[in-house]
Amino acid sequence: MLAIAGCGTADREDDAAAVAQHFHSALEAGDGGAACADLSPETASKLEQQEKKPCEQAILTLELPKGGSVADSRVYVTSAFTTLAQGGSDFLDEGPSGWRVSAAGCEATAPSQPYDCELEN
Amino acid sequence: MRRFLRDNGMSIAFLGLFLAAVIGQAIAGHADFNHTAQGHGDPTISLGRYVLSSDFGSAVMENWQSEYLQFTLFILLTVWLLQRGSPESKELDKVGLESDEQQKVGPHAQQNSPLWAKLSGIRRTLYENSLVLVMSTFWLGTWLAQSLTGVAEYNADQLDHQEDPLSWSQYITSAHFWENTLQNWQSEFLAVGSMAILAVYLRQRGSPESKPVGAPHGATGVEG
Repeated sequence: MLAIAGCGTADREDDAAAVAQHFHSALEAGDGGAACADLSPETASKLEQQEKKPCEQAILTLELPKGGSVADSRVYVTSAFTTLAQGGSDFLDEGPSGWRVSAAGCEATAPSQPYDCELEN
Repeated sequence: MRRFLRDNGMSIAFLGLFLAAVIGQAIAGHADFNHTAQGHGDPTISLGRYVLSSDFGSAVMENWQSEYLQFTLFILLTVWLLQRGSPESKELDKVGLESDEQQKVGPHAQQNSPLWAKLSGIRRTLYENSLVLVMSTFWLGTWLAQSLTGVAEYNADQLDHQEDPLSWSQYITSAHFWENTLQNWQSEFLAVGSMAILAVYLRQRGSPESKPVGAPHGATGVEG
């Protein structure tokens, strides 16, 4: 069980990092539709409810990191945590259609306290 | 076949009970995991994925390690610790490692004694301690496995709450790891202590874990 889990973790970390990378690249390109496709349904829905506009428009108004590269990716069960080289972190969940961003533009606050995220579910 | 089943009934029965219980644990744990995931708005997973997950792994390993610790300590400490009147205890005049003659080793071994009991040196020493060595190896191995699966399970929950994950070295000093460890240890130690003292005064006819029904309360180290 440990060997099987260990062998698969590196691939899953790469997959999560790829989704986070694609999300921030889409924001840099101004492609709100592509960025929203990388969001979890719950996060996209909450964004639309809060901003009262379609996700592909609302997401481009947020102060989220644009472009850059993923410096670190960690996976635990079906949750992932990625960190950008220029700073800022994202939280991702793994579902039937792969990894999706559940919270983005996150900064650490106090020790043992939740991250403060620009976008979350 | 019939003789095989009769001669090995205890092992077969407990292996069957173990398999039924661990399969039941997987099914119930999978349902509980998905119930919690849905409550958090997280995706659910299949049963096959669940039994390979750190959630299932840590739940199994934390129980296995405490069982092997229980047997390691029970086997080791009963060499020196006595309980007057208990069938779980040695007789009061046999405390300690006993003589080579009493233990039937070396020149005192019988023809049908295990091979390494007839030898001297490191091989006999290893065999004399083989039960504790194997049990403690299982204990430490499953405890390590508990910590590795536990840190993944803990960190998945941390990420679900948008909090920082812990390293393994941070996790093994955490309250979560020690609460999971000690909650299992306390029940194991209670079970052994309860059995040791209850069997002084209570009986179960026919069980080797009990004294004979008519044996006096003060009789120590007798079975039947």
